Amino acid sequence: MVKFPEVNISHFLLRNFLLILLLGFIFASNAMAQTRFTISGYVKDSANGETLTGAVVLVKEGKGGAATNAYGFYSLTLAEGSYQLIYSYIGFQTKLVQLNLYKNTTLNLALAGEGIKVKEVVITAEREDKNVRSTEMGRIEISGEKIKSLPVIFGEPDVLKAITLLPGIKSGGEASTGFYVRGGGPDQNLILMDEAVVYNPSHLFGFLSVFNSDAVKNVDIIKGGMPANYGGRLSSILHVNMREGNNQNFNYSGGIGLISSRLTAEGPIQKGKSSFLISGRRTYIDILAKPFLPDRIKGNSYYFYDLNLKANFILSDKDRLFISAYFGRDIFDYQSVLNSKVKFNFGWGNSTATLRWNHVFNSKLFCNTSVIFNRYDLYNDATFGSGGISVRSSLQDWNMKSDFSWFANDNHLVKFGLNYTFHTFQPGILSGTIGSINLDETINKQYAHEFAVYLMDEWKISHRWSVNYGVRAVAFNLVGPYQQEVYDNDTKLPTGQHTRFKSGESIAFYPRLEPRFSANYLLNSSSSVKASYTQTYQFLHLATTSGAQFPIDLWVPSSRLIKPQLAYQYALGYFRNFKQNRYETSAEIYYKPMYNQIEFKPGAQLFFNQNLEHEMVFGNGLSYGMELFIRKKTGRLTGWIGYTWSRSTRQFDALNNGEPYYYRYDRTHDMSLLLSYTINKKWSANFVFVYGTGNATTLPDSRYAYRFGYDAKENQPKFTFIDKYSKVNSFRLPAYHRADISVTYIRKKTDKWESSWNFSIYNIYNRANPYFIYFNPDLVNKTVNAYMVYLFPIVPSIMWNFKF
Amino acid sequence: MRINMFFISALFMWALGSSCEKQIDIKVPASIEEIVVEASINQRFGSLNYVVITKTIDYFKPDLSLNAVSGATVYITEGNVAGTDTFYDVANRRQFIDLADTLLPGIYINPSFMGKAGKPYLLEIALKDGRKVNGKTFIPVPVVFDSIHTWFEKNNKDTNAYFYLQWKDGPEQNNYRMALWKNVDSNLTGWGIANRFYTFDDEFINNTERPFQSINPYRYGDTLNIYLSQIGRKEFIFWNSFRNAANNGGPFATPVSVTSNINGAIGSFTGYGIAYKQLILR
Repeated sequence: MVKFPEVNISHFLLRNFLLILLLGFIFASNAMAQTRFTISGYVKDSANGETLTGAVVLVKEGKGGAATNAYGFYSLTLAEGSYQLIYSYIGFQTKLVQLNLYKNTTLNLALAGEGIKVKEVVITAEREDKNVRSTEMGRIEISGEKIKSLPVIFGEPDVLKAITLLPGIKSGGEASTGFYVRGGGPDQNLILMDEAVVYNPSHLFGFLSVFNSDAVKNVDIIKGGMPANYGGRLSSILHVNMREGNNQNFNYSGGIGLISSRLTAEGPIQKGKSSFLISGRRTYIDILAKPFLPDRIKGNSYYFYDLNLKANFILSDKDRLFISAYFGRDIFDYQSVLNSKVKFNFGWGNSTATLRWNHVFNSKLFCNTSVIFNRYDLYNDATFGSGGISVRSSLQDWNMKSDFSWFANDNHLVKFGLNYTFHTFQPGILSGTIGSINLDETINKQYAHEFAVYLMDEWKISHRWSVNYGVRAVAFNLVGPYQQEVYDNDTKLPTGQHTRFKSGESIAFYPRLEPRFSANYLLNSSSSVKASYTQTYQFLHLATTSGAQFPIDLWVPSSRLIKPQLAYQYALGYFRNFKQNRYETSAEIYYKPMYNQIEFKPGAQLFFNQNLEHEMVFGNGLSYGMELFIRKKTGRLTGWIGYTWSRSTRQFDALNNGEPYYYRYDRTHDMSLLLSYTINKKWSANFVFVYGTGNATTLPDSRYAYRFGYDAKENQPKFTFIDKYSKVNSFRLPAYHRADISVTYIRKKTDKWESSWNFSIYNIYNRANPYFIYFNPDLVNKTVNAYMVYLFPIVPSIMWNFKF
Repeated sequence: MRINMFFISALFMWALGSSCEKQIDIKVPASIEEIVVEASINQRFGSLNYVVITKTIDYFKPDLSLNAVSGATVYITEGNVAGTDTFYDVANRRQFIDLADTLLPGIYINPSFMGKAGKPYLLEIALKDGRKVNGKTFIPVPVVFDSIHTWFEKNNKDTNAYFYLQWKDGPEQNNYRMALWKNVDSNLTGWGIANRFYTFDDEFINNTERPFQSINPYRYGDTLNIYLSQIGRKEFIFWNSFRNAANNGGPFATPVSVTSNINGAIGSFTGYGIAYKQLILR
């Protein structure tokens, strides 16, 4: 391992980017000289009216094509003439449309699912080869349906568990929905639910994610080659899109599982024009487990629930409005059995609300404008004998953004937009009484403005060459009112003096530029080479000392002391499809240095610390690796196999004697296999196998006796053993591997009623995978024993799903 | 956050009745041996003035002894403050001796030594092999108890007894370490034999009456010795990190290293300004 210096290449790249950008626009405007017309519109699912993202529109005559954007909108510009357009989408019947193009045309189209018989002409078009042709790298989309079919523990389908089956995305472990993308930390993933940031995506301390699979339409993850319209985090963007609701018929669907149940209602508000969806989920382990609990913990109860709401209105051909909201809570109550006065209530959760407006200015210009609110809050109330304390903390954002897509011509898709967020950090309010003393302590709120503007162009230079280049300008302004404690430069201790900042006064201001670039060179119709460069800054940081993500972990803004995190990512890939695109394969390598990474000092005081940033240490990170991926998308047997070889290290002057050390989730080998097989109309089966090198961990190498006492009665010294650690993360836990299987049986499927059973077995060969290791000195035999705790042995589960 | 972590851990264990464990073999390379010093002085109890010198032990070495270091030369010197300077006069230097070397090796004491509140102290250790350890501390002025009372659970007089005490926390930054010892004897022979320890500062309650209430009940009739000490900030940081390290464990713990306030060894030199009270919970 080597130390790596910070490099600044953005200057050089920027200068060249601006040049290319300029060139591109000259080409973009010149190319408009011919008589050309544009076909644009929305592609949706005929059964429920939901828009389809990534549906492909191809010109049969071979003169180009387009794909629908995240809102199901497409735009395609062609010379005047007669064309056959092929509309296709995986899992749907392909549709052929004959068109005489002599003016700008709006063509909204509905595709029917493969299971439904329709009378229209069906032809076999060329299968999707977006994988090879687009400039996108490291981007994968998974549908909500796919996620629901995977084998899962306790029968609970989970978005975040599903994405960790992809190469380059690693799971934090069984009790963690935290994921690690190309060596980055869990806070370096921007997790969005209908564009609203979800700061804590987990329930039950990480066992499950907040995304109710019934309400999920699809999941889009970008782990590298991030285009300029995304930013805010170093490592990845995970966008969970909620379903819009059926605008044709009323539907009720749900599932009854071992630990939770779900119910969804959806239907048209005005048939074909507007729809709604309400989806709820609640766990009931608290109710089921109560009779079996020993008396001493009978006072405990835990549950969580989620509520998703969405409404969708087609106002006109040009305007659509979406309202979506999420509300979820985890609630833990403790009541002492011994003392009725001792109570403890602990709850946390996210709330989000998104108002989106899609507007088609004309057939070439599409705009989405959103106003978003999101809030994460936590409460903690404890009462005991003579008093009680209550702790509150929260993080809240107001966000406004506009994203424009300008379908300039066949060869240029220009995207630009702006984004503004107002963050309010409330790290903690403590109030209560102990005896006769009133406690009232508030950690100062922090306020910040975050801005971003971007401009990018997807430019098809020639038959073989295409590039996506752009720049994102970001700025972060931490503002008052705020009172900051002054620290002594020498002793590093607080001086007791304060600097006061007035309302709106800038405390720390970071303007930054993020150039982005990716290129695709088509070797032939089924293979291509791609390269990308991404530079990203991150202004929000998760303050945690533990390996898992916890509800009590705080997000902290960049400040004078905490510099924005920075990452560069260079990636190179070879993409090849086989057998008419039935098999997709890819090999990607990446190199990603990261700067201004944050860790806490060992033994840092995090609880109610007004000056949290002084408990932090700053350093750098480096990760690099190779990802191989083979995917079969169609046929009775589908699935993928992904393998990653990678290395991820950190280097902090204040840790490990300044030497680089392995990141906790450094995983040399990581493999996942997913197979789905449709046996017949009634039965289908899924198989998952995962393997990963064990996590790097720090173990004590010695111990010492401390806090001496002398027991005169027994004539014995008394002391406590303290563990001493030397090298950080120098020890490897045993490898993690596991296989799961699930079988779905569709009991009945008619237009009116559908029901299915899902049987799954988690960890079929009962592998004991390490959760953590602890040591226990055996005083009788005078030895120290090591124990490994593992969470889940073989776990069978069953779930019943219905729809009517 | 400790209370949260406790409940989180409790919840985990409850929610995951299915979690299992097994004994495993782990190979950890041999460590580099380091010197560990625990030096304690105060203004009130002779039995709490001592210096303990030990060594670290390889983690898996089946040795649960103190691993004492004998034969060191140990001095503690009382200093004087003049303006911003502190002077340590050799005339005030007292040697601590490994008196009961055969009985309790590594424990250095001086029965005639007694600290003074408000004075700084210098610790100097020369090991047999020539290595040197030194550190500084001071003994803060102890607090005065303003009120103490005890009570019993209603209709449960024979079982649970509680106490409450209160003192004035001054405007300056104060750091406390409290030890409770259930014994008729007041002579705590080393802090380690006390039953409970609390390390806290005045972050939330500053410059006002400071309450302390026992959460865990004692029995009616118990004799309880309360040692409330004021300590310095560096010493507080050490004992606070010690508390974290001693309680460390569980799935989400990250390694906690104690932050030494002495040079040349792991450990601390702590001056305690002790306020003491013996309560008979009746």
